[in-house]
Amino acid sequence: MSVATRAPFDSEVVTELRAIIGDDQRVLPNISSRVNRTRVPAPFPVHRWADFVPDVAVLPTTAEEVSEVVKLANRLRIPVVPRAGGTGLADGAVPLRGGIVVDVKLMNQIKEIDLTDRTVTVGTGINMLKLNEELKRYGVIYPDNPASYPCSIVGGRIGTGGWSLLGARYGHTRDLVMSMELVLPTGEIIEVGDGGGRKLRKSSTGFMLKQLFMGHQGTLGIATEATLELVPRPECEFSAFFAFDDYMKAYGTAGAIARSGLATLAGVVLFDEWKVRYLRRDDEAYIEQPADVVSVVAVALYGTRAEVEPASRRVMELGRSEGGRYLGDEISQGDWASRHDRYATPLHGRRRDGQVVPMCWHCEDAALPYSALPKVREEWHALVARYIERYDIFDDWGMFAYTNGAYKPWGDYLVEIDVGIWEQELNDDNWAAWVNLKREIAEVSLAHGGSITACHGATREGDAELVPTELGSAWQVVKAIKRTLDPNNIMNPGKQMLDEAYAEEVRT
Amino acid sequence: MSIWRLGEQQPPAPRKITDDVVMRFEHVYEVEPGKMERFPQQDIPAWDTMRIVDSRWEHLDWMHQHFADEVLSTGLASETGFGGGPAES
Repeated sequence: MSVATRAPFDSEVVTELRAIIGDDQRVLPNISSRVNRTRVPAPFPVHRWADFVPDVAVLPTTAEEVSEVVKLANRLRIPVVPRAGGTGLADGAVPLRGGIVVDVKLMNQIKEIDLTDRTVTVGTGINMLKLNEELKRYGVIYPDNPASYPCSIVGGRIGTGGWSLLGARYGHTRDLVMSMELVLPTGEIIEVGDGGGRKLRKSSTGFMLKQLFMGHQGTLGIATEATLELVPRPECEFSAFFAFDDYMKAYGTAGAIARSGLATLAGVVLFDEWKVRYLRRDDEAYIEQPADVVSVVAVALYGTRAEVEPASRRVMELGRSEGGRYLGDEISQGDWASRHDRYATPLHGRRRDGQVVPMCWHCEDAALPYSALPKVREEWHALVARYIERYDIFDDWGMFAYTNGAYKPWGDYLVEIDVGIWEQELNDDNWAAWVNLKREIAEVSLAHGGSITACHGATREGDAELVPTELGSAWQVVKAIKRTLDPNNIMNPGKQMLDEAYAEEVRT
Repeated sequence: MSIWRLGEQQPPAPRKITDDVVMRFEHVYEVEPGKMERFPQQDIPAWDTMRIVDSRWEHLDWMHQHFADEVLSTGLASETGFGGGPAES
């Protein structure tokens, strides 16, 4: 496979960017810097790589530099694509129309640790793992914990409206970011939080703008600084995995634990039959489990020992209440620890004949009511099976359902179906098949009262076209906001169907 | 043909575990070679396999210590009959 790019970017633009940034090492028009900022881990049309290569990447170190870059982009009508860790499972950071990638990784300073008001203020280029290494000495932690924990970055978590593995206990990104400085699509620098306070957790002044700038997939601006919640570092962790001979027993047990009211409950995870089948095939923890292990429930608690110890006994009771069998400390602790870092998983899949081939991981997510999980699971797997039968470049890696609500984990779930895709075989027909499969999966979510994404974002073909359907009567308001804040449609254009905000005026 | 001179680091012969999986070292599973004809697995010297396994355990221990001061154990083994004994941590 060869990678080609468009003609070199206008050298005058690069000259202007260098004048703004003031350091040629942070303005990168070279091919490797651009190609490396093209895709994310989500399946990618590698046969059309060149269509997505940005024209230049910049690495600003201040909000003022970002602001001047964005103002330049407005003047010249150049797309701007914010990029943090580039670890997203949708296409938020993928340039759809070239332009300038604003990579925030050098804005990675810890600016203030406030142990009195329990906040930490950081540049948005910092990684949570590195931040928490610094915070450990103070006995506090910033508990935003995605599956990409070692490699994702605060700015990307804000842009995607991230979900945390510990969210039931500590909240998700939108609950943990207290305020932020951001550069609007027109270049103005503003601060948003709860009311006007940078370190307040609740205010009723004005509109709740903070949430508007959370999870917009880089379409409403670039966060440059954030003030984050600090919580006491947990004294104690407890995890327990239970095996079931029937999915519905596991489903019932997951629901019972989620409704238990245990304050230390950080999350409940439900593995379906396809997931266990996949793990039995390719994961050392499950390969030799007996055949009657068909579904698994995982539970994690965090807090003080005085809280976690009695809660763990209640979890053990509930986990066994419908026939669950404890999988032992070794699997429970080892498998839970590995959940913090799923991106280290080597990815291969199987063709229909069982032959191993390298595959890319697609994790299609949705937010779904608890009541819908069994039926959606059947419909999603049937869809994937239909596409596997026809194309033989996909592999069904099963489903997880994670408790979704911050502090209130009982009602709805982040549900993911993992699909392997043999990217080397992608061509226009196979890519179109993949897009159609994505769309059909998302349509099932909507039909069951769900949202087409709980945390990844709906940015690309296959689900973006369903955003207006899901938002319904609110879609007009969304378009009005986008056009007001980004009159020239320069901020990550082409995402989430927001081009509709400009009707015929859309610039391509 | 291997480019490696494995010598004493030649891994043990594989033992069949399931139709899909073989095992050369205790609890270290590998895809059944017959399922890797299109993309054959490279030869890996024994020390390198053990390095990878040890690194994984170190990584998981590190993750535990990163998120909490203490990991609470039940002291119980798997009730399915497989899955190792109680963890040491």
